[in-house]
Amino acid sequence: MKSFRGGSALEAALAGAMLAWVCQAQPVAAPSEPLMVRKDAGPYTIENSWELGYRFRTAGGNIGKYRSDVNFGNGVRLLASRLAIHSRDGKARYFDELVATTQGLGNDPYQSATVRLRKNRLYEYNLLWRWNAYFNPALTISEGLHRMDTTRRWQDHDLTLWPDSKFQALLGYSRNRQEGPALSTVDFFGAFGDEFSVFQNVRRERNEHRAGGEVDLRWFRFRLIRAWENFKDDTFTGLPAPQGGRNPDDALTLETFRRGEPYHGNSPGWRGALFLERERWLSVSAAGTYTGSERTFIVDESAAGAGPAGPFDFQTLVYGVGRRPVATGNATLSVFPSQRLSIANHTAYYNVRTEGDSLFQQFSNRTFEFEQFQFQSLGIRTVVNATDVNYSALAWLGVYGGYHYSTRRIRSREFLSSGGFEELVAAEQENTVHSGLLGVRIQPAAGLTVNLEGEIGRADRPFLPVSEKNYHLLGGRVQYKRGSLLLSGATRIHYNTNSVSLSSHSSRSRNYTLDFSWAPSGWLALDAGYGKMHWDSLTGIAYFASRRFVTGERSLYVSNVHALNLGMQTILSARLRLYLGYSRVEDTGDGRRTAAEPPLGSPPASESPLFRAVQTFPMTFESPLARLTVQLRPDLMWNLGYQYYGYRERFTSLQGYRAHTGYVSVVWSF
Amino acid sequence: MWLFRRGFLLAGLLCAGSFAQPPPKQYIGSKICGACHRALWAGFTANPHFRSVASGAEAPERTGCEGCHGPGREHIRGAGDKSKIRVFPELEPQQVLAACLKCHAKDFPRSQIRRSSHTLAGVACTSCHSIHSSPETQFLLAGAQREVCYGCHPSVRTQFAMPFKHRVNEGSVKCTDCHNPHGAAAPTWRMGQRPAMTATRLGNEEPCLKCHPDKRGPFAFAHPPVRVEGCEVCHAPHGSMNPRLLRRPAVFTLCLECHTGMGNFGRQGDGIRRTSLTHNLADPRYRNCTACHVRIHGSNADRRFLR
Repeated sequence: MKSFRGGSALEAALAGAMLAWVCQAQPVAAPSEPLMVRKDAGPYTIENSWELGYRFRTAGGNIGKYRSDVNFGNGVRLLASRLAIHSRDGKARYFDELVATTQGLGNDPYQSATVRLRKNRLYEYNLLWRWNAYFNPALTISEGLHRMDTTRRWQDHDLTLWPDSKFQALLGYSRNRQEGPALSTVDFFGAFGDEFSVFQNVRRERNEHRAGGEVDLRWFRFRLIRAWENFKDDTFTGLPAPQGGRNPDDALTLETFRRGEPYHGNSPGWRGALFLERERWLSVSAAGTYTGSERTFIVDESAAGAGPAGPFDFQTLVYGVGRRPVATGNATLSVFPSQRLSIANHTAYYNVRTEGDSLFQQFSNRTFEFEQFQFQSLGIRTVVNATDVNYSALAWLGVYGGYHYSTRRIRSREFLSSGGFEELVAAEQENTVHSGLLGVRIQPAAGLTVNLEGEIGRADRPFLPVSEKNYHLLGGRVQYKRGSLLLSGATRIHYNTNSVSLSSHSSRSRNYTLDFSWAPSGWLALDAGYGKMHWDSLTGIAYFASRRFVTGERSLYVSNVHALNLGMQTILSARLRLYLGYSRVEDTGDGRRTAAEPPLGSPPASESPLFRAVQTFPMTFESPLARLTVQLRPDLMWNLGYQYYGYRERFTSLQGYRAHTGYVSVVWSF
Repeated sequence: MWLFRRGFLLAGLLCAGSFAQPPPKQYIGSKICGACHRALWAGFTANPHFRSVASGAEAPERTGCEGCHGPGREHIRGAGDKSKIRVFPELEPQQVLAACLKCHAKDFPRSQIRRSSHTLAGVACTSCHSIHSSPETQFLLAGAQREVCYGCHPSVRTQFAMPFKHRVNEGSVKCTDCHNPHGAAAPTWRMGQRPAMTATRLGNEEPCLKCHPDKRGPFAFAHPPVRVEGCEVCHAPHGSMNPRLLRRPAVFTLCLECHTGMGNFGRQGDGIRRTSLTHNLADPRYRNCTACHVRIHGSNADRRFLR
């Protein structure tokens, strides 16, 4: 192996890439690293790098699952590109900075582009565009029957006028669109009825316009933005063919079904922020928002079929409106009595009231007409106050702590009117949390840092059985850094117990990680990491089984995830670079070999046999990869990449798959 | 047009206020630094901090090299004496923070930086940003954004390596789509505890709703946990071994953990409604909760989220 000590531009570029790689092990084989060759052109310097290639894949097993997890396909791609133009004196005529990047253009499932265009003191424009092929299979394990093969497109435009001045005008526009086919289900004829698979043509779109300004006065800065968000969902649902439904015990057949449910609305809002700082001893920031949302809807549904009592048809019409005004505000006061001490107090307020009314009308050849009016309201008001103190006692020792208090009031109203019957249920409750945080930072030797922290909290009336009530967190991190060597270990433990009479929930999570990266020489860089994540929860449950009310059982969920990632990059010669990587994530569950076995360890006597088979889910997901790079010229690079994906479940083979993916590409800087 | 001209005039007057300070004698200008630090100076024109030099209008203590490293006259007189200038690798995290905030304090995304968990843990600006040699096109990051974050959060790397995850490793989603690494205000969900540096969106809502606006509502019938406790009560937002980023492999186990009918939980404070007699959990068909309750995040047509 040739030592890398040459002085050529090519070798220097390789060395730079190696040093950069130490911190940038890539978990996905493509795209490759860009070429960073800077050239002068008139008043500008230009960096330009294009990676064009062909991506290929072969996959076996459950292709739907592969598409959900990975989804790379075959074809020619502009895997990545990067163009950066900067003026050399910062005073060019039309623009001083143009940076454009792309990734995956051509048909990769994850495509993106960014543009930044700037003329100093006059304007700055930023664009972020993304396109994702979004696939969710109808997974049997999750009991999810809904399949999606849709695409999502996002774009964010932001324009700042006079970006370096005391007054800035801010304009923005964002769009988010989801469209494509999906499969869903409809439920019919009450809880004893049947479920039918239906086809959906998903069409959802969100647009947001923003306009505002920012003014910087002597001691404070103020920002005010007006935003208008518009959302519309015009998804259409239909029945592809007559169906007998999923319930084998009934004779219902659905012959026709269609549902149109336009759902449109606006959310105009204000966002304001204020910042004030007296240098070296005080800063104050405050922000507030008000958003008024309103969305109107109509559900127009018709269905016809046959049942044991003969043919039936339904026509259903539901219409109404949902509203949600949201007001939020927060203020932070930070004081710095000395350079080593800072005290920050943060107060936040949140008030939301979600309410909606809905008139339900159904006509059928059996029940003739049924009408029901419902109204619901859910109000949440939360007040939070947190004080944090950060003190660097010595150059090698720092302590910090905090006390956090929050109170939340929930008000609820539910009104139902149907056939002369009226019911109003109103309720109010309040929950208060007190928590404390204490941490210490130690630097016992050069390059070695130790962080330890703990938090403990108590709530008096959590909203859900799984919410935090009596909880504590412990965290620790040790890091040693010397030259290119980085060693770190971290742990984080989160325990929560939520006990009340007749029901209890407790959860424990423990994470441990070890990380290592090192570039011992100019031609070798190593990266390795191991993590163990443990979760378990024990929850009291109650349900009906075969008309028997089951109570006193507990649901035990156990997950033990072991994750390993390895990477090695080596320079085989002045022109040849090789990267090898391996990633493996394995959930060993609770250690048992089959789903039917009782949980290992200390199973509670009342653990539910109903839950036993699905409460642990051992599986393995692994992905070795390799990439060979040949530097043909300082401005030309050839890459060959390969990545394998293997997914395996221990209790079933329904969703397992293996996929060989790869690409060949040329990176060119011109 | 009249307003536009007035705006220009006002902006000009406001800008003029900061130009009045004469340059102190110990400031000598950035170009001299380039005589010794040639490589740094050569690439500095592409650096956002070069704008302070290009404008020619900033005060010396906010301009170019000396804007961050302090006045350079004594450093040069001392033939490059490091003790005569601010050398960032030798500073304590709070000193680094103070140096950067001298100009960046008023940027609103950084308004919570003093109390952020990064600052409390001693993470300085230069832990993530490489001011002179950033390989990234934005924010002077020391590396690809995800790798910078993974450096201290290896458990998050593990989560994004799971089969079900947001596409961070694939380059489609960035950490900063959901997080503000400079600190965040108290979240508006849960009890406002542990902001986790979450970047909120319109109405200070959870960032999930930026890309999933169909879950946002308002709905005539909202599933209360979505607003009260937030999306992560059911989902693991980074990655999960379970489909749909769920916290449990099977949906019904997740639902039944809350729907026990016991205690004083829920909106009425009398326990969250348990499954009814008609739901025979011994029949696998009834374990597919979302097969019937399809609009589980919120519905306009049915208070039990059936349509």
